[in-house]
Amino acid sequence: MLKSFISICLVLSCFNGLSQNETTNTTTEKKPLQYKEAYGLRVGVDLSKVLRSYLSEDYTGLEFSGDYRINQKLYVAAELGNEKKTMQEDLYNFTASGSYLKLGVDYNNYSNWYGMSNSIFFGGRYAMSSFSQTLNNYSLFNSNRYWQPENFVPGSDVAEEFKNRNASWIECILGTKVELFANFYLGASVRLSYLVSNSDSDRFPNLYIPGFNKVTDGSKFGSSLNYSLSYFIPIYKKAKSPKKKKGKPENK
Amino acid sequence: MRYKKKFGFLILLLTLIFFTNCEKDDICVDGDTPLLIIRFYDINDETKLKPVPLLRIVGEGKNTTVNTIADRSSKLDSIGLPLKIDATTTSFSFIKDSADSEGEVKTETGNIDILNFTYTTKEIFVSRACGYIANYEDLGNTITTDSDLWIKKIEVITTTIENKPGAHVKIFH
Repeated sequence: MLKSFISICLVLSCFNGLSQNETTNTTTEKKPLQYKEAYGLRVGVDLSKVLRSYLSEDYTGLEFSGDYRINQKLYVAAELGNEKKTMQEDLYNFTASGSYLKLGVDYNNYSNWYGMSNSIFFGGRYAMSSFSQTLNNYSLFNSNRYWQPENFVPGSDVAEEFKNRNASWIECILGTKVELFANFYLGASVRLSYLVSNSDSDRFPNLYIPGFNKVTDGSKFGSSLNYSLSYFIPIYKKAKSPKKKKGKPENK
Repeated sequence: MRYKKKFGFLILLLTLIFFTNCEKDDICVDGDTPLLIIRFYDINDETKLKPVPLLRIVGEGKNTTVNTIADRSSKLDSIGLPLKIDATTTSFSFIKDSADSEGEVKTETGNIDILNFTYTTKEIFVSRACGYIANYEDLGNTITTDSDLWIKKIEVITTTIENKPGAHVKIFH
């Protein structure tokens, strides 16, 4: 029984080999075999923000990301998110809460082997955020301890909300996306941001901007990290355009 | 060559991120609630600074001397006094020729003048590390009259107390 099964397999594999040979022969005679790459929309969610929302009481956040492939290396990319973060400083406590949108491009700089679609990319974004800041409580700093040896004089303990704050910034991104299994990608990126505009007030400045992260005194730079899980929705397939460069014939 | 370039870019980016994370935000160095600065002048020659002999200053309701000046010094012609942030008035006992009486129960033998400062408090946000400080506005003063005032005249130079150099009040004696 087993013997016959193996022999049948062998016979069949012969046929298989034959038929393959035939087809490849016919195609190579007429035109070279073209490898078609999938184009489409990739949508994802930021895992780190979801995880931090569960782990930390002071943070809730959610970010959706998406990119659409427009040619061999270029992707149009966007992120849409919402964050709420409470920060306890030495003498005050505040909550920043709001939404943000980032638009830009990713440029894949990784040449994939046949059948793979991973990426190591550089990207740029223009981002804007609309949010509010709430000063929950504060005390007045005084290094002289003559009148209050024990503690600092508390200010108002009624929460004070500063609405309609907004900011915009540009981001420079270095990241990677790796295909875990069919159409599922795990991505990570580091982002360096530079504030372009920031609506402030003397009473209470913006110390945390949703999407931008912490704002540092006297600096317009910020940085953030992003870990995303995304799903690729293939829309159409297009052949990889042949390389114009000489001396690299294998990538046709 | 291409990979070297990529690697270089990565290092540059990581360095930049490293530097942006070095923050001066954790220590407050940018501001503090200011002191009320008083300078003592000669009543006979109003441009001449004149130190108060054996000056002692005690805040109203406190049994310790003000911690910003040397106690019973005869060299001070300029002093800084802390005001109460959570009030709109602060009183001090200005004691000239301060000394203790001899005997079992020590009492003050110097000339005590009680000076009261009135003001309004303004909260100002300084920086992430410092948070809020207080500044004072609408500075005014009253002196409690007694039979022997060593303070002859008080002049408010500026009614706003901020972290700027210069005296706020002149006292002539």
